[in-house]
Amino acid sequence: MPVAASAIYFLNLRGDVLINRLYRDDVGGNMVDAFRMHIMQTKELGTCPVRQIGGCSFFYMRISNVYIVIVVSSNANVACAFKFVVEAVALFKSYFGGSFDEDAIRNNFVLIYELLDEIMDFGYPQNLSPEILKLYITQEGVRSPFSTKPADKPVPNATLQVTGAVGWRREGLVYKKNEVFLDIVESVNLLMSSKGSVLRCDVTGKILMKCFLSGMPDLKLGLNDKIGLEKESQLKSRPTKSGKTIELDDVTFHQCVNLTRFNSEKTVSFVPPDGEFELMKYRITEGVNLPFRVLPTIKELGRTRMEVNVKVKSVFGAKMFALGVVIKIPVPKQTAKTSFQVTSGRAKYNASIDCLVWKIRKFPGQTEPTLSAEVELISTIAEKKSWTRPPIQMEFQGNMGYINMSQIP
Amino acid sequence: MAPPAQSHRSPSPSQPSGKGEVSDLKMQLRQLAGSRAPGTDDSKRELFKKVISYMTIGIDVSSVFSEMVMCSATSDIVLKKMCYLYVGNYARYNPDLSLLTINFLQRDCKDEDPMIRGLALRSLCTLRVANLVEYLVGPLGSGLKDGNSYVRMVAAVGVLKLYHISSSTCMDADFPVTLKHLMLNDPDAQVVANCLCALQEIWSLEATTSEEASREREVLLSKPVIYYLLNRIKEFSEWAQCIVLELVSKYVPTDSNEIFDIMNLLEDRLQHANGAVVLATVKVFLQLTLSLTDTHQQVYERIKAPLLTQVSSGSPEQSYAVLSHLHLLVMRAPILFSTDYKHFYCQYNEPFYVKKLKLEMLTAVANESNTYEIVTELCEYAANVDIPMARESIRAVGKIALQQYDVNAIVDRLLQFLEMEKDYVTAETLVLVKDLLRKYPQWSHDCIAVVGNISSKNVQEPKAKAALIWMLGEYAQDMQDAPYVLESLAENWDDEHSAEVRLHLLTAVLKCFVRRPPETQKALGAALAAGLSDFHQDVHDRALFYYRLLQYKVSVAEGVVNPPKQAVSVFADTQSSEIKDRIFDEFNSLAVVYQKPSYMFTDKEHRGPFAFSEELGNLSIGAESAENIVSAQRVDANDQDLLLSTSEKEESRGPSNNGSAYSAPSYDSSAPLVASHAQSELVSLDQTLPQAPQAIDDLLGLSFAVTPTPAASPPPLRLNAKAVLDPNTFQQKWRQLPVSISQEGSVTPQGVAALTTPQALLRHMQGHFIHCIASGGQAPNFKFFFFAQKAEESSTFLVECIINSSSCKAQIKIKADDQGTSHAFVALFQSALSSFGMS
Repeated sequence: MPVAASAIYFLNLRGDVLINRLYRDDVGGNMVDAFRMHIMQTKELGTCPVRQIGGCSFFYMRISNVYIVIVVSSNANVACAFKFVVEAVALFKSYFGGSFDEDAIRNNFVLIYELLDEIMDFGYPQNLSPEILKLYITQEGVRSPFSTKPADKPVPNATLQVTGAVGWRREGLVYKKNEVFLDIVESVNLLMSSKGSVLRCDVTGKILMKCFLSGMPDLKLGLNDKIGLEKESQLKSRPTKSGKTIELDDVTFHQCVNLTRFNSEKTVSFVPPDGEFELMKYRITEGVNLPFRVLPTIKELGRTRMEVNVKVKSVFGAKMFALGVVIKIPVPKQTAKTSFQVTSGRAKYNASIDCLVWKIRKFPGQTEPTLSAEVELISTIAEKKSWTRPPIQMEFQGNMGYINMSQIP
Repeated sequence: MAPPAQSHRSPSPSQPSGKGEVSDLKMQLRQLAGSRAPGTDDSKRELFKKVISYMTIGIDVSSVFSEMVMCSATSDIVLKKMCYLYVGNYARYNPDLSLLTINFLQRDCKDEDPMIRGLALRSLCTLRVANLVEYLVGPLGSGLKDGNSYVRMVAAVGVLKLYHISSSTCMDADFPVTLKHLMLNDPDAQVVANCLCALQEIWSLEATTSEEASREREVLLSKPVIYYLLNRIKEFSEWAQCIVLELVSKYVPTDSNEIFDIMNLLEDRLQHANGAVVLATVKVFLQLTLSLTDTHQQVYERIKAPLLTQVSSGSPEQSYAVLSHLHLLVMRAPILFSTDYKHFYCQYNEPFYVKKLKLEMLTAVANESNTYEIVTELCEYAANVDIPMARESIRAVGKIALQQYDVNAIVDRLLQFLEMEKDYVTAETLVLVKDLLRKYPQWSHDCIAVVGNISSKNVQEPKAKAALIWMLGEYAQDMQDAPYVLESLAENWDDEHSAEVRLHLLTAVLKCFVRRPPETQKALGAALAAGLSDFHQDVHDRALFYYRLLQYKVSVAEGVVNPPKQAVSVFADTQSSEIKDRIFDEFNSLAVVYQKPSYMFTDKEHRGPFAFSEELGNLSIGAESAENIVSAQRVDANDQDLLLSTSEKEESRGPSNNGSAYSAPSYDSSAPLVASHAQSELVSLDQTLPQAPQAIDDLLGLSFAVTPTPAASPPPLRLNAKAVLDPNTFQQKWRQLPVSISQEGSVTPQGVAALTTPQALLRHMQGHFIHCIASGGQAPNFKFFFFAQKAEESSTFLVECIINSSSCKAQIKIKADDQGTSHAFVALFQSALSSFGMS
C-alpha cells in the first residue's frame, strides 16, 4: 500500500531544520542528518530529486530558499508525494500572502504545524483545499508587510463541513460585486533555424481564473468552436489541415470541472473554488501561429567584443497591438559594457540575469523594431569554455482586458 | 510578532545550549499554570511557541513536560494544538509522564466541539506508548461512531495507528470489522478513503499470519467492493482517488465487458490535473488489459497524450516522477513511441536528471525511420558545454549505433566527435568506438584511420585510455606506429595510475608483439619488466603469466591473447525481463524511479553497499539512541541497523544502562580471526614474489600487536602535523580495514567538564596531531571519528571514539594501514585523551 510520506522536513539552505513532522514510525527522527550528510554536503544536490540512503528514500524539492524533504521507507507513490508538496506550498502561500521562504516559515511555524496536522494523516494526504481548511485552522498567517492582500477576512465559523459533493468550495459566500477574471497564460517553446524557419514549436497553456462570486454558482465556459480535441491517430490520418482549427493535443482540468460533460458537450462546466485557481491546462504541438518572429544575428568579434542585432517582426493585423512586450537576450557572464540603439521601446543590460532586456510598452502589428547592441567582454584566460548561447526569451500580453460579470444565475 | 526562533538560528543540534532558557521557560510555565488572570492565554501562547521552536531546532525540552501538561487545561484551541504537538513528540520518551496527558485527552475526546474531539483523538493515537493502548480503545470506538465526519475520519486512521502500536489490541477490539462497515456505508468520502487505507494496511500485514486476514484482503478486491468504490469515485478527493485507483488496479475482472466498463468509467480521470491521479488511472488501464494484447496497445496510444502533458507541466521534480513512468513504458514498447520522438528532445533549461531520462528514451525509440533526426539532435547536445550532458549524448549515439540502425552515418558522426578535440568528447567517443568495433569489426578500416591520429597523451581518462590501448593492440597491423606508441606508454609505466590501463597495456603489447615481433620487442621487454615489479597484484600476475607463457612457447601465447574471435552480438548489460515485469507490476511507485523492484530497496539484505556510509552519516543518532533505547520500538531498531553495526549497537547500549559494568572490549574475539587469516595468507603466498616477505611481516606484525605484551618496544611513533584525509577516503578505509585495536580508556573529570563544547576536545587532539573528521552526539554520549598520519610515510590511523561523560569513559576502536604500529598509536592516543582538560 503506497503511502506518500513518512516524515516531512523543511530545511534552510544551510541544512537547519525549520519544521519537521513525523507521520509514521518507520523512519527515524534524525533522518535529516543523513540527508544533510549525503545530499546537501555533496555534489549530489540537484542531480536527482529522488535518492535512496540506507533503507530510506528522500524526495526533495527546493522552493525559494527552503528545501522540502519527504522521507519514506516503503515503496511510496512518488508522483503523489511531489504533487502533495507542490499543493502544500500553494496552500501555505495562500496563508502567508504570497511568499514562501525561510522567514515566512519562521514567522508562521505554529500555523504550519497546524496545517501539516490536517493535510496529512499517518502518511496519507487528506484535504488540501484552502477553502475548507480555513474553516478549522483558526489562525491567520503572518503576512509579510509587502503583501498587498488585506488580511481582514471574516473569521469563519467553526462548524465543520469537511467534505461533501463540493469539497473545494464553502457555502454561504457573499460578495457585493460578483467578479470573474480569466487569464490565459501560454508558454511557447520555439526552435528556429538560422534562416528563420520554425523547426519546432510547442505550446503549454493554462487558463487561470479568479472568482469572487456569491453562493454556489454553476459556471459554463464555452470554448471556441474552432477548438478540436482529437486523438492523434485521427489527426494523422487527415491529409491536410484546415488552417482554421486549433488542435489541442491534450487538456487537463481542475478537479472542480465536470469531466463527463466536457467530453460530451465540449463545454467546461464547473462550480468554481473561491479565489484564484488554475482551471485548465492544454498542450499544442501542431499548427501554432506565432504572433512574432524574432530574428537575431549575433557576431563574436574577437575575444572581447560582440555585436548583437535583433529584429522582432509582428505578424498579426496592423490594427491590433501587444502590450508590455519584454525581450530578454542572453549575453555572456563576463559582459563589461553595453551600448544600444533601438528603434522602439527601451533597452538596458541586467547583470543579475546576464541579459539585455528590451521593453516595448505597446507593440502594433505589422511592424519590425530592431535592437542593435555592442557588447564588450572582459577577457579572461581561464574562461576557455565557449559560450552556451541560451535561448532568447520574450513575454507579452494580449489586449483582452477583463470581463466583469454581475448577472450570474 | 517577533520571530521566536530568530535568536536560535545557529546552534547545531549537538550543542546543548539553551539549558538556561529551558529552565526559565519551566519557571514561567509553572507560574502560568494556575493563573486565571485575563491575558493568560496570550502569554501562554508565546511560551508554547517558544517551546515548540526549541523542539524544532533540536533542543531537548522534554524537561518541561509536566508543566506543559499542567498548562493544557484551557479552552484556547491554538494552545491545545500546540500542546498536542508537544505531547505527541515527547510522550514516547516519557512514558510515565504521558499517563498524565491521557486524562485531559480523554476528556477532550468527549468535548462538544467536533474539532476538539477530532484533534484530541488524533493526538491520543500519536502518543505511541505501548502501555497506554488500553486507554485508546474506548475513545476510538466512540470516535468511529461519532456523528461528525471529521471525527470519524480521524478515528479511521487512528485505528491504523493503534494497529501499529499494538496489533493484538486492535484485533481484539474488532476494529477492522467496524472499519469495513464504515467503509461500505459512510456518506463521507474521506472517511471511506481513510477506512480503505487502514484496512488495506492491516489486512496485508495480518495476512502473513492469519488465513482469515488474507480472506478479508481478498474481499477488498471483490466485485461489490470495487464497484461500490468506483461508483463513488467522483466524490473522493484527488488523493483519495489515487488510493481507490491503486486498489482497482489489483482487481481481476471476470470478462472483457467488465474491463471496458471500468475503463469507460475512468477515462475522464486521464484529464485530471493531478499527475498522481493520472498515473494511478494509467496503472488501472495497463493492468486491466494485460490479458488483451490489442487493447493493451490501444491503451498505450490513449495514455500517451495525458502523460506527455503531465511531463510538460509542473515542477521539474514532478515531471521527473512522471517521466520515469513514461520511460518504463517506452522501454516496454519502444515501437509505439517511435513517432513521438520529438517529445523527448531536451529543452535548454531542464535539469540534468530530466535530460538523462529523455536521452535514454530517445535511444530506445530510435528505428530506421527516425534515426537520422535523433542522431542529428544528439550531436547538437554533444557540442554542449554542459560536460555530463555531452557525455551522455555521445553514449546515446553509441547505443543507437549498437542497435544496428544506420550504422554507416553514425560511424561518421562518431569520428567527427574525435575531431572536436575536446578531452571529454574524445574520451567518451573512444570507449564507444571500441564497443562498436567489437560488434562490427568491418568498420575497423574507417575507425582506425581516425583513431590512429589521436595522441595517447591527450587521453587521460582510464576507460578511454584503456579503449585506445585495446585498439592499438587489436589493430596493430593496421596502425603504422602502434609498436612505438605502445613502447612509449610502456616506458612511462609509472605515470599510469590506473591498474586497468596497465593490464590493457600488457595485453596490447603482447598482441602487437605476436604480429610485429621485431618492432615490438623493445616495448614488450619494457612492459614485462615494469609489470613484474608492479605493486598491483593483478598486473604483476598477468605480467608473470605472459612472461612464462612466452618462455614456454610463443605460439601458445598467441593463441591466448589473439584467438580467432567472433563479433559480439549482444552486450550483456541488459536487465532481465523478469525484473522488468516486476517493476511494471509496481507501476506508480518508487520502484519505477529506481528502475528496480521494491524488494531490492526495502528489504534489508539487499541494501548492502550503504551499510557503512550510514554509520558515519548519522553520528548524532548513534549517540542519542542510547537514551532512546529504553522505549526500544520499531523506529529505533530501524534507525540503528541503518546507522550502526550490531556490535556497536550493543556498545552504545552499555553506558546508558550501567556505566560501570562495561563488557570486555571486543578485540579478543577478532584477534584470533585476523591472525588465522594471516596464517592462511602466508601459506598461499608464493615465495618467489618480490613483495611477499614484506606482506608477511605486515600480517604477522598485526598478530603480535594484539597480544597483550608487545615483543619489543616499538620505535617512538611520530605523527604528521598536517595530515589530510577527505571524508570519502576515510569511509572507504574504515570499511576495508579490520579493527586492529579496540580499547577502553578514561577521561579526566576536568576533560569531561570541558566537553560541553566538543570543539575543545577537537582542538586538544589536534595539538597532538590527531585530527577529527566527524563528530556528534549529545550529553552524556559523544562520538568522534579521528584520523592521524605517520610523519614519515603516508600510513594512516583511523579512530572511532565514544565518550560517555557521565562515567568518564572513552571507548576506542582503531584501524590502521600499518597494523604494526597501531599499538604505539593507541598509547599515544590514550595519553592525549587522558591529558585532555589539563592542558
